[in-house]
Amino acid sequence: MRFRHMLMAAAAVTAMALSPSAFAQDKTYTIGVSVPSADHGWTGGVDYFAQQTIASLSKTYPNLKFVLATAGDPGKQASDLEDMVATRNIDALVILPGDPDALTSPIMRVKKAGKFVTVVDRKLSQPGVEDLYVAGDNPGLGRTTGEYFVSRFPDGGNIVVLRGLPIPIDKERVDAFNQAIANSKIKVLASQFANWNRDDGFKVMQDFLSRFPKIDAVWAQDDDTAIGAIAAIKQAHRENQIWVVGGAGMKQAIKQVMDGSKLVPIDVGYDPGMVGTAIELTALKFETGLPMRGSFIVRSPLITQANAAEYYHPDSPY
Amino acid sequence: MLGAAGVTDPAARHSDALLACVAVSKQFGDVQVLFDVSIALHAGEVHALIGENGAGKSTLMKILSGYLPPTGGEIVFDGAARQFSSSEAAEDAGIVLIHQEFNLAEQLTVEANIFLGREIKRGLFLDVKTMRARAQALLAALETKIDPTARVQDLAVPDKQMVEIAKALARDARVLILDEPTAVLTPKESLVLFRQIARLKAQGVAILYTSHKLDEVSAISDKITVLRDGRHVITAPAADLTEHDMARQMVGRDLSELFPPKLPPMVAETVLEVAGLSVPGYVTDASFHLRRGEILGFAGLVGSGRTELMEGLMGLRPSEGAVSVMGKPVHIRSAADAARLGLAYLTEDRKGRGLLLRSRMRPNLTLLALDRFSRILIDEAAEDRALDQAIREFDIRAPSRTVAVGNLSGGNQQKLLLAKTMLIEPEIVIIDEPTRGIDIGTKQQIYGFVQRLAAAGKSVIVISSEMAEVIGLSHRVMVMRLGRITGELEGEAIGEESIVRYAMGLDSMTKDHRAEDRLHAAR
Amino acid sequence: MPRADPSLPAAANPPGRGPKLRLNLHLLGPLLALILLVVLGASLNGNFLSPANIANVLARSSFTGIIAVGATFVITSGGLDLSVGSMAAFLAGVMIMVINALVPQFGVGFGVIAIGMAVGLVLGALAGVGNGLLITRGRIEAFIVTLGTMGIFRSLVTFLANGGTLSLNFDVMDAYRPAYYGTVAGIPVPVIVFALVAILGELAMRRTPFGRHCSAIGSNEQVARYSAIHVDRVRLLTYVLQGVLVAVATLLYVPRLGSASSTTGVLWELEAIAAVIIGGTTLRGGYGRVWGTVIGVVILSLIDNILNLTNVVSPYLNGAFQGVIIILAVLLQRSRRATS
Repeated sequence: MRFRHMLMAAAAVTAMALSPSAFAQDKTYTIGVSVPSADHGWTGGVDYFAQQTIASLSKTYPNLKFVLATAGDPGKQASDLEDMVATRNIDALVILPGDPDALTSPIMRVKKAGKFVTVVDRKLSQPGVEDLYVAGDNPGLGRTTGEYFVSRFPDGGNIVVLRGLPIPIDKERVDAFNQAIANSKIKVLASQFANWNRDDGFKVMQDFLSRFPKIDAVWAQDDDTAIGAIAAIKQAHRENQIWVVGGAGMKQAIKQVMDGSKLVPIDVGYDPGMVGTAIELTALKFETGLPMRGSFIVRSPLITQANAAEYYHPDSPY
Repeated sequence: MLGAAGVTDPAARHSDALLACVAVSKQFGDVQVLFDVSIALHAGEVHALIGENGAGKSTLMKILSGYLPPTGGEIVFDGAARQFSSSEAAEDAGIVLIHQEFNLAEQLTVEANIFLGREIKRGLFLDVKTMRARAQALLAALETKIDPTARVQDLAVPDKQMVEIAKALARDARVLILDEPTAVLTPKESLVLFRQIARLKAQGVAILYTSHKLDEVSAISDKITVLRDGRHVITAPAADLTEHDMARQMVGRDLSELFPPKLPPMVAETVLEVAGLSVPGYVTDASFHLRRGEILGFAGLVGSGRTELMEGLMGLRPSEGAVSVMGKPVHIRSAADAARLGLAYLTEDRKGRGLLLRSRMRPNLTLLALDRFSRILIDEAAEDRALDQAIREFDIRAPSRTVAVGNLSGGNQQKLLLAKTMLIEPEIVIIDEPTRGIDIGTKQQIYGFVQRLAAAGKSVIVISSEMAEVIGLSHRVMVMRLGRITGELEGEAIGEESIVRYAMGLDSMTKDHRAEDRLHAAR
Repeated sequence: MPRADPSLPAAANPPGRGPKLRLNLHLLGPLLALILLVVLGASLNGNFLSPANIANVLARSSFTGIIAVGATFVITSGGLDLSVGSMAAFLAGVMIMVINALVPQFGVGFGVIAIGMAVGLVLGALAGVGNGLLITRGRIEAFIVTLGTMGIFRSLVTFLANGGTLSLNFDVMDAYRPAYYGTVAGIPVPVIVFALVAILGELAMRRTPFGRHCSAIGSNEQVARYSAIHVDRVRLLTYVLQGVLVAVATLLYVPRLGSASSTTGVLWELEAIAAVIIGGTTLRGGYGRVWGTVIGVVILSLIDNILNLTNVVSPYLNGAFQGVIIILAVLLQRSRRATS
């Protein structure tokens, strides 16, 4: 499983736990897993890794039961939590909240009911609710990308930015990116929301191409958006003048990096597999009895032609 | 003609009138619809306003009640010139107009409607108790059994009329203007209304009243004003005008005979044979036949199942029974089936089922016969020619070809509906209430048309609640009562009394249905 | 006859009340909004009127445009179809899967693409039949039926894609590309298809019995029934037409990015409905015009385009800008109705 590459801290614990032995208990535990439904590629990956992890953990630890629920909106996700506590009698909850602000108080209720709570990826609006926080590194994604841009443009360049949705994650990434390029000669011609999706990436890029005769590079922030942007660039026959960086580590993008594409020179990971890490760590709390507390940040690695093979998982949907 | 005394100048007398208009005119854009009309309403007097559709009655009533401002002339109320800025202002002064189409909030209760906009309050809250008591008193005075807590949408049409009147009474109306109040009432309900009018009159209310039913006008009015083409024709005491005078003044010429002379029925084959037709819930076991060139009347009270019988026959309602057209047994499942067999039905509900009120005349005219105007595309030129022809043939008067049909007068709508139906060249035409809400001149035209149709060898069924119409037109009359055909009359035997006896269940040509009647009524 | 002057109005409410200027505004309101938007765009950016930009905007408009033409018929006859966006995603997904599955056997060629297209069209028609039957035979509100199928199609495509993205075989993509990126006489293919659909749609609405029947049913179902119109059959047909047009849009969408996922076609239904209403069709049915819908679609695309071509509006206010333009476009033509 690829998330193991990502989390050095957890790796040691995982290795320990994989020898069931002494800590294995007879008592059964139920872990509830609540994730957003697959409304785009990245959440599709989240669902995939959640299912994969649950399947493999169930095999390894027969005394663990899992309840997986996917929700399309915060209301549904909140109801899912109530059901898990009321009817499935869970011992722990692993949740990737679709809208962390809206879900803070439902999660607090789960916590108050005495359950172990692991929050994934998105910070709740109240500190100290969760026992365990497993998150991607959003500022890191922006910073890593920004540093790469600076290294490619020592003498300056014209770039455009395709942002995601107007939510905090996007802002953290963009702020860090801007900070990283602040002292360079890079000029951001324009930035516009493309909603982390292909069709909008295509449309916005088409318009940027008609607006600016000279663009050197695009930061699309997301690999889906990048695919749309690349289609627009190819349509305008400017694929030899512009390169594109997406983000999040979609397998098609990584494949291109691996093949040495000039158009897509690198990618920056933001691994949906972090949900698997979170489930695994939560399972370990029950199997090992070790105290399991604090924050685990899954860093956003720079994926280049040299290391791309490591991140390439052809079987994953993402 | 009348004596000069009858043609008084109302303007000369408006000083003692409660409400009067003096030389009022009204223009809509380029079109003038009222020319220097004067009329004076006095306390304790019933004043009838009559005229053909389009004569300007509604406009005049709306001006009197503040719904429309006049473009010329003035309104005098209580001896002083007034300008009402809105109908609310007029209502506050005690002038209430009851529209032909009701102004009731359908979702609200009767009592809420009666006090709408003038709710009685106790502090911040509605004083429901007082309002209910007053509503009950008002309704009782109107001799109705309407429950003040019933929703208006659940009421029958005449009951809604009564609620409108109760609403007007609750506003302490000094002037009550009624726009064709009896068009939707049965004769019995009309009598109740007339009693109320008499009562209000005795209390000193001034009443302005319009109706197409001239016998009513004769019976209840003190004074009559006739309008024609937006001009004042005559104002005279009711006693000085016969119905014939009124009709002549309205039309502007002598109406020799309302009904064209009946042609003798042809001796011809049966074109439609209906045996044992039942429409669940409405009609039981109806059998009749229709000959070529015949006009067959269907009489009976409102609700006796005449419309439902025809709709069942036309495939517009589920029905069972045997139907033969031109001697061949047929199954009619939809209006399209009927049209293919040469049957056409003109609904009584012109506005709800007959015409698309928001559309223009052309699409309305050709809607039923559209496949005759199209291969793949509609031949709009042919449609235009058809409209030209219909306008000529049926004398449809519209300000322009592009006017929305809903803005035409009832008579012109009916003519358009007739033209629409005739476009499929039916052999058998069923006309339900051919002249409801239509002025007398148009009525005469429609009667003439029906007669010509029969003379041309088509067969016609006329359903009508107007006795004179059934008697004046039909070769033969079927009478219905409580969903059954109870009588058949032919030739000389067709008369008001014989029809009424069948319709009321006093006579029956078959067995005694009285036991079943009770069952039917109990449902 | 009683009246000598036939020009006299027949009713107390003469219809000629609205001055001619306002009548024209009602008719040309959407066109006026479009012109204003074009002037605005041209003044903000010199490239706005460049042939390339115009081609881009029109080509992009073609998907929702073609769908909106179908929606014009559905709405005119008093119905509603919320499922179009999900249906497009589902059809795109199935087309991609079918084509990908056929490639190993038949190789890359036009034949395989043609089969994929045919499958899309048939499936689109069937989806329309499903919606239509549930509404006409099942007597369920169109809103509820299509809300239901909207969820169903959306889940199906997510399921087929296993939560990710379905991508068209790379070699087929090369062969299929011209369907979106190709041009005929300098005009992009999707624009030509869109224009054809729009012209045929306008003709069908204005000049065929089907179009007349749609507006009769939307205007007053009872009148339609009493006028021997097969109300259910016409209703059903509008949904089938809508399904087929969604499929046509999908045929053009797939070669653009060669993929379908659960984000494909999100909110297309609202865009299509908005375009229809901006174009002057009444939401409660009874009156529809396809040319208005076309203008409505172009207006919506232009708004996005202008936002991307300028920095005048903060990206955070994109939605507000869109909202203002949409409301203005409708206000322009409704001023007449408000007074009558």
